[in-house]
Amino acid sequence: MPTHRKSYHPYISPFDPCPPIKTKTYETPAQLYLGFQPKGLDQYQPSEALKKGTLWPALYSPYTSPYEKNKRE
Amino acid sequence: MTETHLPKAYYDMLEELQTVDFVLVELNLYLDTHPDDLEALKQFNTFSKKSRELRDRFEEQFGPLDQFGHSYSSYPWKWNDTPWPWQV
Repeated sequence: MPTHRKSYHPYISPFDPCPPIKTKTYETPAQLYLGFQPKGLDQYQPSEALKKGTLWPALYSPYTSPYEKNKRE
Repeated sequence: MTETHLPKAYYDMLEELQTVDFVLVELNLYLDTHPDDLEALKQFNTFSKKSRELRDRFEEQFGPLDQFGHSYSSYPWKWNDTPWPWQV
């Protein structure tokens, strides 16, 4: 399963005025990896496709919020 | 006006129609860039036929879905009849 959200660690300087943000995340949607869509990609069931917002699992990219995840844990 | 609740079948059929139409939207956009994909074209045609059947079945029971001639209407004119789209 492709990871949709990746993270990196910015440099934290001792002179930073504010409390540092240790890890920052960014979205990597499917189209970054998929150029021209090939034929015959496998598909979701129609009912699931409606919920997921796309017919092809390869193109599924949930725009999750990194903040909600922290809140939920 | 007696308070009438919509039968559950109303929502089930609408959701099924929405599901089929979503697949049609996806396939339509896909076929715009892949005109020679026979598999997708066959799937598109079967789903559009299914959508038309669903639409007809729904309209027989609950009245017209589209206007300006895209749907039939029984007597009397049903188009401005409740429930309105935002009430569904």
